[in-house]
Amino acid sequence: MSVTRRHLPSPRLLGVLALVLALGACATRPDPSDPEAVADFEQVNDPLEPLNRGMYFVNDGIDTLVLRPAAEAYRIFLPPEVREAIRNVLANLRTPVILVNDVLQGETQRAGVTLGRFVINTTIGIGGIMDRARDFGLLGHTEDFGQTLAVWGMPEGPFLFLPVLGPSNPRDLTGFGVDIAANPLTWISGNEAYDTVMITRQGLTAVDAREGLIEPLDALRQGSLDPYAALRSAYRQRRASEIRNSSPAVSPMAPGTGFGVGAGAPTLRP
Amino acid sequence: MTAPPRRLLLLGLAALAAGALPIARAGAQQVDVGGATSFIQATGQEMVAAINSNAPVAQRRERVAQILRRAVDVQGVGRFILGRWWRQATPQQQQEYLQLFEQVLIHNLAARFGEYQGVRFGLGRTQQRTEEDVLVNTVVERPGSPPFALDWRVAEVDGQPKIVDVIAEGTSLRLTTRSEYSSVISRNNGSVGALLAAMRNQIQQLEARAAG
Repeated sequence: MSVTRRHLPSPRLLGVLALVLALGACATRPDPSDPEAVADFEQVNDPLEPLNRGMYFVNDGIDTLVLRPAAEAYRIFLPPEVREAIRNVLANLRTPVILVNDVLQGETQRAGVTLGRFVINTTIGIGGIMDRARDFGLLGHTEDFGQTLAVWGMPEGPFLFLPVLGPSNPRDLTGFGVDIAANPLTWISGNEAYDTVMITRQGLTAVDAREGLIEPLDALRQGSLDPYAALRSAYRQRRASEIRNSSPAVSPMAPGTGFGVGAGAPTLRP
Repeated sequence: MTAPPRRLLLLGLAALAAGALPIARAGAQQVDVGGATSFIQATGQEMVAAINSNAPVAQRRERVAQILRRAVDVQGVGRFILGRWWRQATPQQQQEYLQLFEQVLIHNLAARFGEYQGVRFGLGRTQQRTEEDVLVNTVVERPGSPPFALDWRVAEVDGQPKIVDVIAEGTSLRLTTRSEYSSVISRNNGSVGALLAAMRNQIQQLEARAAG
C-alpha cells in the first residue's frame, strides 16, 4: 500500500492563489479623513476585492458551463431516494473528520454525538446509506479545521473568493487543507479501483453540494443587486454562526465541513 | 431527510448575527419576551395558513405580502440597511428609497415564503438579546427538506411589536442586504442615485417575471 498525494488539492490551484496574492490587486483604501468609510472598509474585510471579484467572475463562468449543468443532470437522472442515500453515505464518510475537530475544540458532548452517529449509521444504517442515528436523537452537525482554528483564536484574515471553492479566507483555506490531510482515506492508495472510488466520491460530493444549491444560487443571481457582496456578507455571517455552534439542534447533519459552504457557493469539499 | 440546508435560498431572508451593530431608532422601545413570542407565533400561524391554503399562487402571495407589510418594520429595516448613506441621501431620495425598498422586500419575502408549501413551523427557545429587541427562535420544516433555524428579531415600534430582522441559519437579512446595497453605492462613487436606479430596474424585472 503506497502513500500518495493524489487526493490533495491540485498544486496548480495553490499556485494560482499564490500568484494572485503576489500580484496584490488591492482595493483602494478610503480617505482616512472619513471615519465612517474607513469603518465600512474594515468591516467588509475585503482588501483584495478587485482580485476576488475577478475570481468570482471566473467562478461564475465555470459554474454556468460545468457545475450547474452537472448538478441539473444529477437531479434529473437520479431519483430523490438515491440522491438521499448518496448524500447520507458522503456525510457518514465525513464524520471522522468532524469527530477529530469536535475533540480538538474540546466539545466532548458533540464528539460523543458524532461518534455515536458514525457507529450507528455505519452499522444499522448500512454503511451510512440511512441516517438511523437521527432516530436515536443524534442529530449531525458540521465541524472543520477552519472552525477549530477560529476556536483556538486564529483571526480569519482577509476575505478570499476562489474559483470552484467559492468564498473563503486564509483560516478556512488552511483548515480545508488540514482536513483533507487529516483524512486517512486521502493517504491510502491500494489500487486503481480504490482510487476510482475516491475520485468518484469527490466528484459526487461536489455535484451533491451544487445540486442542493440550484435554487438558492439561482435566486441570488436573479434577486441580488450585487451577488458578490451578498455572498461575501452571508459567508462571513454563516461561518461566525457555525463557529459559535449557535444552531446545534436544527442542522440535520453536516452537509459539509463548512468550507465554502457558508453562503452556499459551489464548492468542493474534502 | 438529509438534504443540505438550503442556505442560500434563505439568503434573501437572512438576518442578524450576534455582534450586530446596535441601531438607534426613533420610536423603538423595549419589547417584552412574552409579547414578542406570541406575536411571532400569531404571525407565523397566519403565514403558514396563507401559504398552505388552496388558493392560486398569485393570491397566496398577495396574502403573504399583506401579512408581511403589517408585521415588518419596513421603514426601520430600510433605514438600517441604507446605514450611513441615509444621511447623504436627499429627502427626496430617502422617500423614493423607502418606497422601492418596501416593494423589493415584500416581493422577495412573499415569493420566498410562497414556495414553502406544506410548511410547518414551531417555536424554539426565546432569548432577550439586546436592549431594544428580542430574538425569537423558530424551526421551519418542509416536506423533503431538513428543518432549519429561522430567527426573528422583534422590536417595539410605536407601541406595536414589529419584525426588524430575519435570521436564517445564522445569516441576517438586514446585514446581508446592507452589505449588498452599500457595495452598490460605493462602487458607484458614493451615489445613492445609482442604488435607486438599480432598485427600479430590479422591480421592473420582478414585475416582468411575475407577469410572464
